Parts: sequence; C-alpha cells; structure tokens
Amino acid sequence: MRRPRVVGLVVLGVAVLVAGLPLLRGPIELPVTQHHLLHAALLVGAALAGVLCGGRDALRRASPAWIVLAMVAPILAMLLMWPSAYSFFEQHPAGHALEHVGIVACGFLAGFAGERFAAGVGWATGGSAVLMALLAAFGFGVAPPTAVPIAAVAEPSLQPGASGRRNTGASSPAQPSHGAMIYATNCAVCHGTAGEGVSGPSLKDERTRKNLRQTIEWIENPAPPMPKFYPAVLTAADVRAVATYVQTL
Amino acid sequence: MKPLSVTSPAIGLRVMWTYIVTGLTIFLLMLLVGISMRGSQAGWWTIEPGTFYSLLSLHGIGMLTAMVVAGLGTLWYLVSRETGLDARVAYLAYAFFVAGVACVIVSVVPGHYGALWTMLYPLPFTGTYWPTWATGAWLVGAALVMLGFMIWCGQILGALLARYGGLGGVLAVDYVLHSRAFAKLDREPPPPQIFAAAITAIDGLIAGAAGLTVGVALIVRWLDPTVAIDPLWAKNLTYLFGHTFANLTMYMAVAGIYVGLPICTRRAYHTSVPLVLAWWGTLLFVIIAYFHHLYMDFVQAESVKLVGELASFLAAIPVVVITVYGAVLLVHRSGMRWTLGSMFLFTGLIGWVVGGVAAVLDSTIPFNVDLHNTLWVPAHFHTYLLEGVVLFTLGWVFVNLEQRAGASSGALIRWLAGLGVFGGGALFVLGFYIAGAAGVPRRYAVEPPPGPYLAGIATVGAILVLVGLLVVAYEALRLARLPRSEVAP
Repeated sequence: MRRPRVVGLVVLGVAVLVAGLPLLRGPIELPVTQHHLLHAALLVGAALAGVLCGGRDALRRASPAWIVLAMVAPILAMLLMWPSAYSFFEQHPAGHALEHVGIVACGFLAGFAGERFAAGVGWATGGSAVLMALLAAFGFGVAPPTAVPIAAVAEPSLQPGASGRRNTGASSPAQPSHGAMIYATNCAVCHGTAGEGVSGPSLKDERTRKNLRQTIEWIENPAPPMPKFYPAVLTAADVRAVATYVQTL
Repeated sequence: MKPLSVTSPAIGLRVMWTYIVTGLTIFLLMLLVGISMRGSQAGWWTIEPGTFYSLLSLHGIGMLTAMVVAGLGTLWYLVSRETGLDARVAYLAYAFFVAGVACVIVSVVPGHYGALWTMLYPLPFTGTYWPTWATGAWLVGAALVMLGFMIWCGQILGALLARYGGLGGVLAVDYVLHSRAFAKLDREPPPPQIFAAAITAIDGLIAGAAGLTVGVALIVRWLDPTVAIDPLWAKNLTYLFGHTFANLTMYMAVAGIYVGLPICTRRAYHTSVPLVLAWWGTLLFVIIAYFHHLYMDFVQAESVKLVGELASFLAAIPVVVITVYGAVLLVHRSGMRWTLGSMFLFTGLIGWVVGGVAAVLDSTIPFNVDLHNTLWVPAHFHTYLLEGVVLFTLGWVFVNLEQRAGASSGALIRWLAGLGVFGGGALFVLGFYIAGAAGVPRRYAVEPPPGPYLAGIATVGAILVLVGLLVVAYEALRLARLPRSEVAP
C-alpha cells in the first residue's frame, strides 16, 4: 500500500476517534457557532484523509459519478449540521457520535471522490466542505451578533435634538430596553419599527387585544405565517422582554 | 502526470454548440420577458405588480444562467483543444442546469415566486404572496444550477492541473517570477484563454461553495422555520456568490476574444507578463469585490468597505485595460475584414469598457451612496452583459460559422444586425443610465417620473435588439447550412 494512503487511513482513524468523543464526555451544551467550528475541524481531518486515500498513480478516465459525489458530499455534511437538531444531539451522546461519524464520512467522501475524479480536484472539493462548515459557523442557525435597534442607527439629522454626530454605538442614558432591542432585530422587519405594521399586522395598542401572558403565549406558539423564534432564537426571558415591550406600543 | 490526449474536435464542438444554442435560446426567451417588463413600466400595457416581480425573478436568474451556459460551452471547447476532457461530465453538468432551470420555471410560472435571486433574508420567507412550495422549488432550482456550475469547474480544474503540472503551471508562476530561466528552458506559458478558464474554475468553486452554504441554510430554514439565519451573513454570502457568478460570465466570454480575434486578424494573441499579472489580480480580487453591494449596510465594518472598493478596481481595471489594449493592437493595420464575427467581437469590447466604467463608478463609495439603489446598477450590468458578454458570444459563434462555411454576411445583413443589436442595445441601456442618474429607484414595478418616459425609450431599444437578433439568427442558420469549406472567409 502506498505511503500517502496509509497516512490517510491513520488520519481517518483519528477523525473517527475524535468523532466518538461525545460518548466519553456525555451530554454537553455548546453555542451553535462553536459546534459548527468543531464540525469544521472534523471535516479538515476527514477531507485530508480522503485526498490522501484517493490519490492514484496514473490518470485515467474517471467515472462522472465521482465528481457528483465530491460536490454533493459537502452539502450532506451541512445538512448534518442542522442547528435546531444540536440541542437533541447534545443531550444524546450516542446520536451525537453517530452524527459526527456522518460528518466525517461526508468530508472523507468529498476529498476521496474529488481525487478519484482527477488529481488535485480532491483538495478543491475537500476544501469546499471545510469552507462551507467554517462559513456556516458565522450565520447558519445563529441570530445576529449585535442587536442594534433601528431607531438608534437612523440618520442622526432626522432625530429630534440630533447634533449631526455619527452614532458610535456607545451606550447612553437613552439606551433602549432589552425587549426593544429584540423587537428591532426580530420583529421590526414585518411589524414596523414602531409597530405600525409592514407585511405583518400592526402591533399598535396590542395590549387592548392581548394581555402580557397571551402575548407571550402567541410569541412562543405563533400561527403561520409568523415565524417561531422560541426556543431556537429567543430564550424564555427574551420572549418575556419583547412581549413586555410590545405591550407598550 | 501525463494529461489525457486532446479531445476530438467533433466532440468538443458538439458540447460547445449544445451549450451555446441552449444559452442563446434562454437568452431570447428572457429578452421577451424583459421587454414585457420595460413596456409595463413605460405604461404601454399593464402587468400587475405581483406578476412583475415574478417575471423580474425569472428574468434575472434566467439571463445569468443563459450567459453562464453559453460561456461554459465556449470555454469547454477551448480547453478541450489543449487537453483531454470527458464529454460525459459536460453533459452531466448540463443536465443539472436544465433541471435547475425547470425548477425555477415551476417556481415562477405556477408558483408566482417573486423575491428575485439575490433576495435578502428574511426574504423569501416573510411578506410573501406565493405558496411556500414555490420558495422551495426556487431554492432547489438555484442549488441545482450551482451544482452544475461546480461540476463544470471541477472538471476544468482537474484537466488544467494535469495538463500544466499543477496550479503553479496553470497560473504561469514560473513564467512571471523566473522568466529568464523559463525562456532558457524553451517553455511556453499557457495561452491567454487558459487563464480565463482557470480563473473561472477556481473562483467558481470558491463562490459556488459560498453560494451553496447560504443556499443550504435557506433550504433548511424553509423546511424548519425555527432555524435562525443572520441576515448580514446571508447577504454577504448571497453577493459573494452572485456578484462573482455574474462577473465570471465576462471572463468566460473574453476567451472568445483571445481565440476569435486572432482568427479574424490572422495574428496571434500571446500571453505576456502584464496579462498574467492582470489575471492574477482578477483571481484574487473578484471574490471580494462584492463588498460594494454592502456599503450602505451600517453594521458592516468600514474597513471591509474600503477593501471592497480597492478590490472592485483591481479585479476589473487591469484585465480590461490589457485585454482591450492587446485586442486593439491586434486589429490595428491587420487588414481585418469586418464580418459579423469580427464586428461583434470588437463592439463587445466597447460594451465591456463602458459597462466596466459604470461599474467602477458604482463601486466608488461616494457615488455608490447616490447610485446603488437606482437604475444605474441595472444600467451597468445590462451594458456589461448585453453589449459585452452577448456580443462576445455572438462574435465567437459567427467566427466559427464563417470559418466553417468559408463565407461571410452581406453588407445589408451586417448593418441590420449591427444597428439592431448594438444600436438598439445602446438605446436600451441609455434609458437605464439617465433614469439612474435622475434617481429613479430600481426593482420597482411602477416607477416615479421620469422613469416611465425613459422606460419607453428603453423598450424601443430592446425591441430593436430583438429585431437585430432575429436577423442574426436567420444569418446564423444560413451560414450553418452552407457546406463545409476549407477556405477562410
């Protein structure tokens, strides 16, 4: 057996062992970003192993199926990184390890099939799998990192008492509440910055239609087309805060 | 590693014509969609806004796919003349394109999807007037097109790596960095069209990976509404893919200049160090030039915007200047006859330069703030595509047909085709430019004044383009039916 192939099999073995770590650690809880990044690290090893194992001595007419497999494997890896399933896997170590093995298999396939198709292509397709996982870490299943209320970034000259100075994002005595910030980030797109309604209904005087408890219940279990933010995006405390804010509109 | 033997010319030509004919057919259909929209904005007839946005979605992705498919066919053939390529992979990629287009048509025609192809999250999930399945069909269709594109890129990259002995050989690193030693060894750098193919394949794979990342995220969000997506992240990846994909259409079509103009002028277009450096610039910077779509996103870091401005200049200007300079030198005192092929190739250069200047203006931060949300942006990319990519493609088609038949077109046909396609195209984009400079917003079914008046002028231009293209199609069929000749036109 050629040396690169042996090294590739060793790297694959290490990746599979790392994939099985949840069995040793038991239930864990990680932010989605960290979870994606760890999967990207698994993919680095798996894709490298695939490339090393897939290399060959002479170029031949490879089956077109290899290039399809090499391109589809990174997509399958991303589907295994389904963010709302993370909380389940984190509480079920055996399932978690199995999910990791699936990700390793996809990474290996991306590199191996690419390299079987044509020498050098495995680096590109394996790299694609890693790149996709890395990119996913910064926005797939991740709410915006900073909740800046729309009112706070509006053109300063249009705001009462504005001095024309640029908004630096520094806190001020007029800092809006946590609920207002959540509202600006998640709700204002459809319901309007002041609750006047855009594609979604107006929330003006919502307190006359629903009390605080009913508002919380609605946010937690909305009817379509309103998206469900709880519990994937908003915590129970967030829901209470934004419901309290909606009651003031 | 030894490359495969060169692909048979007959196979290469069959793949090329399959791609080009498909691309130009989709282009003609999308032109009709475009005329219907511009006429509606002019008030000549009425299209209900919901239908307008569905047609706009179809027109946008349809036109770009048409240009990509035609460009990939040209490049595939040109690469197949240098090294072995398996036609089965080309047809496989083609099948993905066809399946993707079918999904998009289903999404728009019965489904009334209308969030465009560069939709900004939370679109296409909120504020919609179409059923959820139409969103899914659109997303799956777009993913299939991306997969087809990446399969093509993978094949070309693999073939070039084998032919030129790795990435350094493909990108002519030794030729630039160790030019004396390179010359002493009597080595030859790759011909210019190979740089176009390599940059398309490499940047295409990177952009495709970014596009599939956001595409898969949106498909997951479609299936599972509890999954959150960061809107700024989604916008960055959407434009990383979208802007690069759109820009690469030009770099694919430029290959026709490198090979087509030398046939017309009977002179060679040589690879030079400045040309290689210019293509390196494009390779590095076209991926991050998209930041100029996010200048007005206040949460994006200022430094990223400055990088975007610089990258926009460096991705476009060097390769335009060097290619156009080389092309003009090639034509100068060559005694070239103005056939339809040479005419389209040369006028395409004008469209590339004008569209490029308008693009550079839009990517300059102080102008962008005033121009980016206006019809200036469609003005520049319509110039770039209609007066650049389409003309290069038509030029390449006619150079091949004229060479095959040993005949060219009469003066009347040349005037009709030239006035229709180039003149009509100029009138068409002028309507966009003036409206953009006047601040008429883009992506509006109903435009404020002077939008409707200028849309009327643009519609006349687009109808002239259609008439010109019908003349071109007639002439292409006439030349294609002539018996094969070994005598050059």
